Formats: sequence, C-alpha cells, structure tokens
Amino acid sequence: MISFIIFFFFAAVAVIFAAMVVLHRNPVVGALSLVASFFALAVMYVLLEAPFLAALQVIVYAGAIMVLFLFVIMLLNLQHQAEPHTRPVQQFLGYTTSAAFGLALIYYLAKYGVTKLPDGPFVSDARTIGIGMFQAYIFPFEMVSILLLAAIVGALLLSNRSGLAKDEETS
Amino acid sequence: MHGIDWVDVGLSGLKIAVVLGAMLNVTPIMVWVERRGSALIQDRPGPNRVGPFGLFQSFADALKFILKEDMLPAKANKVLYTIAPMFGLIPALTTIAVVPWGRPFLLPSGRLFEPIIANVNIGILLIFALASMGVYGIVMAGWASANKYSLFGGIRASAQMISYELSLTLAAVSVLMAAGSLSLPDVVWRQTGSFVLFNAVKLPAWNIFSPAMWIAFVVFFVSAFAETNRLPFDFAEAEAELVAGYHTEYSSMKFALFFMSEYMAMATMSALITTLFLGGWDIPWYNEPPNALGFALSVIAFTVKVSALLFVFVWVRWTIPRLKYDLLMKLGWKVFLPLAVINIVIVALFIARRWI
Repeated sequence: MISFIIFFFFAAVAVIFAAMVVLHRNPVVGALSLVASFFALAVMYVLLEAPFLAALQVIVYAGAIMVLFLFVIMLLNLQHQAEPHTRPVQQFLGYTTSAAFGLALIYYLAKYGVTKLPDGPFVSDARTIGIGMFQAYIFPFEMVSILLLAAIVGALLLSNRSGLAKDEETS
Repeated sequence: MHGIDWVDVGLSGLKIAVVLGAMLNVTPIMVWVERRGSALIQDRPGPNRVGPFGLFQSFADALKFILKEDMLPAKANKVLYTIAPMFGLIPALTTIAVVPWGRPFLLPSGRLFEPIIANVNIGILLIFALASMGVYGIVMAGWASANKYSLFGGIRASAQMISYELSLTLAAVSVLMAAGSLSLPDVVWRQTGSFVLFNAVKLPAWNIFSPAMWIAFVVFFVSAFAETNRLPFDFAEAEAELVAGYHTEYSSMKFALFFMSEYMAMATMSALITTLFLGGWDIPWYNEPPNALGFALSVIAFTVKVSALLFVFVWVRWTIPRLKYDLLMKLGWKVFLPLAVINIVIVALFIARRWI
C-alpha cells in the first residue's frame, strides 16, 4: 500500500516535471525540472528493488550530466525569457512524432500486457551487474566505450578546427 | 502485511535524533573554532567577549541572522531564490545517514544495535548521489539572484564540482575494491585489527597506512576541499574577485542556511574520510569489547577523528591562499584524475598479489 502511494506520487512528479522541461520558456528552469524528473525516476528504480541502478541514475544523470548542461546554459547566458515561434514545420513534426511514439508505446504495452514484473527474486547489486557486463555483455560494453572515445576525439577535433584551442592555456 | 516493529522504529528515531542533533550543533561550534582558529593562526585575539573564550559568540551570530531583514532582489527568480538555500542543506544533512559512527553491540534484549541510520548495501553510492545534488543549491542561488557575480560563482561551482567529483569517486573506488563491498560498515570492519608494514612497524589496519592507498588518500583529501568549497578551492565564493560569489544577494536566515550547509558538508566529508581511510570508529591497538562500553569508546574515537579532520579544514583555510582558477582545473583534470586511475591499478595489483 505504501509503495503504491509512493509510486503514484513520484510518477506524478516525474510526469509534471518532464512536461515542465518541454513547456517552460526558461532554459535554466527546464534543466532543473529535468533533474527533478530524473530524481523521481530514481525512486521508481528503488521501488523495482534496484537501488544500485537508482544510485547510478542520480549520480550519472542528475548529478553529472545535468550539471554540465546547466553549466553550458549559464555560460551562454540564455536570458531570452520567451523565444518566438520561428520554425512551424519543425514544431509540427516534433509534436506529431512524440505523440505517435507515445501512442505506439501505450498500444504495445497494452497489447503484450506488460503491467507487472515477472515473478522471482531479482538480484541487481553491483556484483551481478559487473559480472553481466564483463562476461555476457562484454562485446556491447566495449563497443559503447569505443563509441564514447570516438565522440571525445570528434569533440577535440571540432574545438581545434575553430582555432580556439590553439593557445596552450585553454587546452 | 506484517506488524510494525515498534522497538526498531523507536531506535531508528533515537539514532536520527542523535545524528541530526550532532549535525545541527556542528555549525555553531565550527563557527567558533573557525574564528578562534583563524585568530590563533594570524596572531590576534579573535572573538573573546561573549561568554568564556567567546564561546557564546555563535549564539549572538544566530540571533543577528534571525533579526536581519530578508531581502529579495527585484529581478530575482523568486521560487528558485527561495528554495536554493534549502537545496544546499538537504544533501549535507542526509548523506550522514549511511555512515556508521560506532561499534555495533547486542542490547540486553538480544537485539543487535547498529549505530548507523540506514545500513544500505550501496552506502557509498548513495553518498555520492546525494552529494552530487549539493551543487544545485549553489548553481540555483547563483542564477536566481540575477547578479553577475552570483552567476559567475554558480558557473564556477558547477565546473569545479564536476571536475573534482570524478577524482573523489575514483579515489573512493580504490578503498571499495580493497574492501570488496559498497557498504560503509564493511569498509570499517575491514580496517579493524592491525598489520605489519614492511616487516617493521605494527600499525592499525587503517587504509591510510596501507601503501596501496597513499595516493588515493591524498587525492580524496584534496578533492574533499574542492567538493566542500573550502579554501584553497572556494571559487564559488572568492570574495576577492566575486564580492561573495553565489550568496552575494542573500541575507538573514537564507544566508545562514548556506553557512550551515557549508559546515555540515564539511562534517559529512570528515566523517567520510574517517570511515574510508582512518578506520571509522576503530581505536588503534585496542580491541573494543562487543558491549556498551566498546560502543561508547568507539563513538568517542569516531568523534575525535572527525573533530581532528574538521580542525584540519580550518587550519588549511587560514594557511593556504586561493589558487588561480585555471590552476584548479589543471590540477583536477591533469593531476588528480590520472593519479586516482593509477591508484586503482595499484590496488588491483595488490589484490592480485594478495598483499592486501
């Protein structure tokens, strides 16, 4: 019963703040709302008896990535409180695609009856995840690391091309 | 639904009350220590008028905070401006919940009393998760104040926290690898007893004495200063450059909350360093009896260690000047991050050779 209440409370928090991210005109408020939404999602992981994932969700997404986003937003000083609607085609495509995706999600969830977890004890501690990552899923794991490396090299290349990183101090 | 264990609930409430009381009292005591300590280091008397040794100065300060006018800048974002100080305080207060502060012992009723509020098996991750939320208080305050200096403070805080969180976490990974567990009570249990270093000295089995952990300790310790925004890394505040950084516009109790969260974060960080490297509640060369006496002694040992570290925080603040900002970034990314990774390799080697 208690977990039921907790679920619906944090589900509401997650949805409301996710909507805020899209609807709020101010980028900083949007980023902070996304943090709140991530945090509510972490609570969902706890309810699914995966506290390890919950902690990672908060550390990686809410803690690290969103701080970086906020840093960039604040550095660029995006102060225009209300941006005019300039690109109607893109806006239309965005709304319809997300609506279609949402409908498809609901349809398939209803069709295959994914409303509860299969029975059985779930172990999702650090040990299980580590073993899984380095044995069964070692190939995709290494692939992802190469992908990330490529992204880093690409970022370095782009920043070098603009000539900003030429002097020693900014590197 | 099974029945609620009321004794357990009562004990938890008691533990929360004790820890919360201790944490809330850290601020006035530390403010006094800081002011008297800085005076000691700078060879001047410091506050010595209110009460013996100026001990009641903190109460006078608190009264002053409450009586000051609470200002709200005209262009500030009201909601964020108001909740920012609270956001700073919550992580500082909650992270201490997973730190063990004494030796567990059996109550007369046969129940095991564990002096830790929440014994979760992901303890250390929970600390990093909540601690990473601490930066939002500063960033929000800096942005919502609608002040250039505040904004700079917030930007600097976010960049600095991200950089040093990495080396902090990686340094902690060394300890966790050696302990083989993410749970802080396990980390402490592993450090009880003693070992012989280089076939010469018999030392307590604390992580700080193990050769595999020396680099990790230095990296963690220095990064802890950056994470708590203390000098020499207090760039979010930097009064010489940014007036008062992120809390320039704050006054009254809102300012006091930032003040409190700084000192509480310091206390939490000291407790964490104690737990990870200084053996937690372990008393060196002494086997605590598994009863109430051993519990009391271990709590005293833990308190002494944390207090000593808190004093080091004050000592360093008044001894070392602030770095340059680019030096801070360089130190974080080019020195501490590689060092922390190297230390992980060293610990792995020690584990493989069974030296640990």
